Amino acid sequence: MHRLLSRTVVAARNRSLCVYECCVLPAKIDNVSRPFTGVGANTISTCTVRRCEKKDDAIPSNQGEATNVDTETKTTQLQEELLEANDGGSTQQQRNVKAEQVLSKPSQVKTDGAKSGKKSLLDLLGAMKVEVTSKRKLKNLKTKQSFESAVQYKSKSGAMESTISMFQKANVQDSAQSEVLDPDLVAAASAAASTLPNRSRAESELLKQLRQRKTLTEAQKKGDINNLGVLIADMKVGKTGRQNAWPADQIRFDDDGQGYTRDRGITSELANVRKRRNIFPTKRLNIFSPTTDEQRGDSALAKPTLWDMDFANELSLTTNQMPRNGFEEMIQWTKEGKLWHYPINNEIGLENEASVPFNEHVFLEKHLEEGFPRQGPVRHFMELVVAGLSRNPYLTVQQKKEHISWFRDYFHQKEEVLNEADVYLN
Amino acid sequence: MAAPCRHVGHHIKRNGRFLRINLDQLFASRGLRWTSALQQQGEEVHEESKEPIVIPRKKSWSSEAVLEALASTVHRDPTAYPYQFQDDPYLSPRTSSEFKLFSLSQESGRAAAKYFVSNNPKFFTKDFAEPHIPCLMPESVTLRLEEVSEEALKERITLRKVSAAVEMYDQLLQAGTSVSMETTQELLDLICLYCDKNPVQEGAPEVEDAEEAGEETKRRKPKGRRAADHLRTSWKENNNAERIFNLLPEKDSRCYSALIRGMVKHGAYSKAFSLYTDLLNNRLSADVHTFNALISAVPDVRDKFNERWDLITELLNQMNEQKVRPNLLTFNSVLKALRRCGFLAKTYAPQTLNEMKALGIAPSLATYDHILAVFYKSGSSGPNNTDIIQDMLTELEGTSFTCRDPHDVYFFSSAMRICLDSKDLELGYKVHSLVEVGDNWRLLGDSYQQSVYYGRFFSLLCMMEHIDVVLKWYSRIIPSLYYPNPQGMRDLLQALDTDGRLDLLPTIWKDIKTLGHDNKVDLVEELLSLMAREEHSPEVQESFAACALDVKSVFDGRSSMEWSTSSLSHVTTLLLRANKLQQAWDMLLLFKAKNRVPSEVLLNNFLSVCQSSGAPKRAVELVQLAAAFCLPATPVLAKTALAEFQLTDEQRSILSEFEAAPEKETE
Repeated sequence: MHRLLSRTVVAARNRSLCVYECCVLPAKIDNVSRPFTGVGANTISTCTVRRCEKKDDAIPSNQGEATNVDTETKTTQLQEELLEANDGGSTQQQRNVKAEQVLSKPSQVKTDGAKSGKKSLLDLLGAMKVEVTSKRKLKNLKTKQSFESAVQYKSKSGAMESTISMFQKANVQDSAQSEVLDPDLVAAASAAASTLPNRSRAESELLKQLRQRKTLTEAQKKGDINNLGVLIADMKVGKTGRQNAWPADQIRFDDDGQGYTRDRGITSELANVRKRRNIFPTKRLNIFSPTTDEQRGDSALAKPTLWDMDFANELSLTTNQMPRNGFEEMIQWTKEGKLWHYPINNEIGLENEASVPFNEHVFLEKHLEEGFPRQGPVRHFMELVVAGLSRNPYLTVQQKKEHISWFRDYFHQKEEVLNEADVYLN
Repeated sequence: MAAPCRHVGHHIKRNGRFLRINLDQLFASRGLRWTSALQQQGEEVHEESKEPIVIPRKKSWSSEAVLEALASTVHRDPTAYPYQFQDDPYLSPRTSSEFKLFSLSQESGRAAAKYFVSNNPKFFTKDFAEPHIPCLMPESVTLRLEEVSEEALKERITLRKVSAAVEMYDQLLQAGTSVSMETTQELLDLICLYCDKNPVQEGAPEVEDAEEAGEETKRRKPKGRRAADHLRTSWKENNNAERIFNLLPEKDSRCYSALIRGMVKHGAYSKAFSLYTDLLNNRLSADVHTFNALISAVPDVRDKFNERWDLITELLNQMNEQKVRPNLLTFNSVLKALRRCGFLAKTYAPQTLNEMKALGIAPSLATYDHILAVFYKSGSSGPNNTDIIQDMLTELEGTSFTCRDPHDVYFFSSAMRICLDSKDLELGYKVHSLVEVGDNWRLLGDSYQQSVYYGRFFSLLCMMEHIDVVLKWYSRIIPSLYYPNPQGMRDLLQALDTDGRLDLLPTIWKDIKTLGHDNKVDLVEELLSLMAREEHSPEVQESFAACALDVKSVFDGRSSMEWSTSSLSHVTTLLLRANKLQQAWDMLLLFKAKNRVPSEVLLNNFLSVCQSSGAPKRAVELVQLAAAFCLPATPVLAKTALAEFQLTDEQRSILSEFEAAPEKETE
């Protein structure tokens, strides 16, 4: 969990760095910074990762001219690239709008960005769009928008065909998020296909793509959920989510550090066959009945006889009890009582007070019930004493009681003095 | 172009701080969003998967949990000595006998210290430990209560003073005091367990009495020391236990149980059975321990296999009638008795196992060992059917055992014996992988059992496995776990020979020396013959020659080792092959000193080496030596020497004399 988190965070940090540089460095690159303000910075970050990878360390240190040149050329490259991609400015704006709509859940975009950091720029744009439009409440709006954009692109010249296909893909992808049978979507797909020369084929391809995308995203979503489930289970509940995580035929990694479990080939299969078969025929002596009586208990309750001790001694003599390392020796010493117990919780060493509940330690007011006045300075003083005692972890309850009773005796001895001062004990 | 770039650089520099702040802000806000998104995702998950969250129970750890976890991180170091010897470099065992000696002396030192502390408590009154550690303080081993009372009797029982307890009991009876039933039972337990003899206090100095001393040394032997102790003491007619038992006004089943168990333990088997009949006549029921003891005694009271098995089933039926639940030891003793029931065993042993399983009693390793013993007789040779052990190991795979029966420790070595007998390497690996599970290695038993097990495993490896794997195991288990015996080393030599890795022989020789097997003449001879058998590359020959010289020095150092002709000639051959003419000549002189005769081939070899290294003087000396041995080959040698060497006139005359000499004699 931690590792995953930190990795994504680090990745995100790098990316944001690059983005920021891209935005701040050349003031000329308005095209970049303008449409992608706010969340836009997030989204574009995914695109710029690749470009800025090499600059990561070079730029912040701000060294020589060469770096600057490099930076500038790269940024201009980026700019050009983006300009190319942004050719249809209106779509870009639309997407920008959508991005702002999704502002409430931007991290989704980010996670996606983290995942797809290695994809190509075009794919990224498409994927980003998918993520942006994945919100259910925006579904209709978004499909229409993308539909429109697709149509817009279709009307453009043939030189833009690659871009068109890209946006078709994006369109397909985003619609894949919703139900395949969504009539709006099918309509959109057919409309998109109608602009292409081979209409029926394109339509079926689009729909096929839709279905594929849908299954893919479903699978990924489930996978994500599984992952998260595992993480949560690890944190709190236990390893419940993991049981069927591994298919049976996959090579498994041994938990005990032995490395990959050995593939035992045919012999293991034979062994499995054998496992099913019993060693011997199931016939038995049929003398005893397999009832589980409670008689077993009384032997355990009985005091161990001399014979039992002798038997235990014999068992320990026959086995090899030699410690293999210092820790095992320490275990032996702990068992013999020679060694201080290693703390296994924060109540270690509480032998004397183990049976005393904490309230005995903390709520000491009940000891003021008798022998002390209900109000007045003596009571006030004693309450302070009790408050102090209740926070003292070093005294046993008995000592605390003795402390209080000492005061009780003291005040009773000084009763006359107190009476003179108009302070009464009762 | 450059100017704007520089400009940009300056710009960055100037705005660096601003940049960083912005970055930080950006990062912080991102982090926030990230967590909120995570929460949202988490909620989604909860909505979709409706699995109820099970709150785990509070775990209670044992007080050694931390140490156990730490100990599990330490793995065995095959290059290190066993842990118990690491404190003292002087006590670093290199041979099995040293291992035995050192570990026993360590143990007996501890026992002696404890004996001293316990017997002289007046010197150990100061309690330094805070809090008090009871086991560091002297135990009370001497009697403190002197008056005649039941308390004093109890004290004597807890201190296991058998004769003093009996005495006290008699005094109590004479005084007319009645002793409570519980104390009487404990007294009977004590007497029966130790067979009316005082147990030897641990660490006690050896007594002067010869018989007692013999018993003591026997007891110290690691193998079956307890058994040896008790076999010597046999149940005597009318001993104190029987006397006290007979005097008892009322006898309960525990008194019977004590006596029967004592009788079985100390070899009075038929007496035990008659006492059991007595018990039945008194309408009492025996406990499970009594039955266990009786079942294990069955093979000693009946001769025929059928009768034995009938008695066992009768006892088991009586158990069932008396509503006594059998335990693991019951069935283990049934199986142990079955081992001595010949042909019946193969039928009834599996049934017994099934009965155990039906009753929900988990078999221990001893159970499996008995079954293996039933199905695999140790004497039988030829390919065994290994199905049963295969199945058994498959069933046991990955199980971690604890010792529940003293017989458990024999399982692994006998299973490995079966693997060795049937030459089944894979089965051997299976057995060994079972040993490596958890704490199963503790069940290998004491050092003797362990060496038996590893010896069998190693011979199996040498026999069946490729030499590289053998050497891997060799470095893993030797000498940290196993000190091979000469037979084991011979197996290794054969394995090296089979796979043609004779170049490793000098290293093996070093190990042989370390293991203290360099005084085994036949092993050394086998090594030498392997080295001398064929020629190798010059480097290998060089190392062989060094090794041969080392062997020679070992022979020189020990008067008990006798040179044989073959080992002398092997060493000489090895030295000749490495062109060590002088040392080879020394060896030839050694032949003479030990009254051995070198072979003709060896002398011819020597001569050719003389020739190749250009030592005519040595050649002449060789011929002289051959003449001194009166070898028939002398004239031939002389002739060759005359023909092939650049000789002075003087040498020539000597040689020609030898060349002619035998001819003269024949004439």
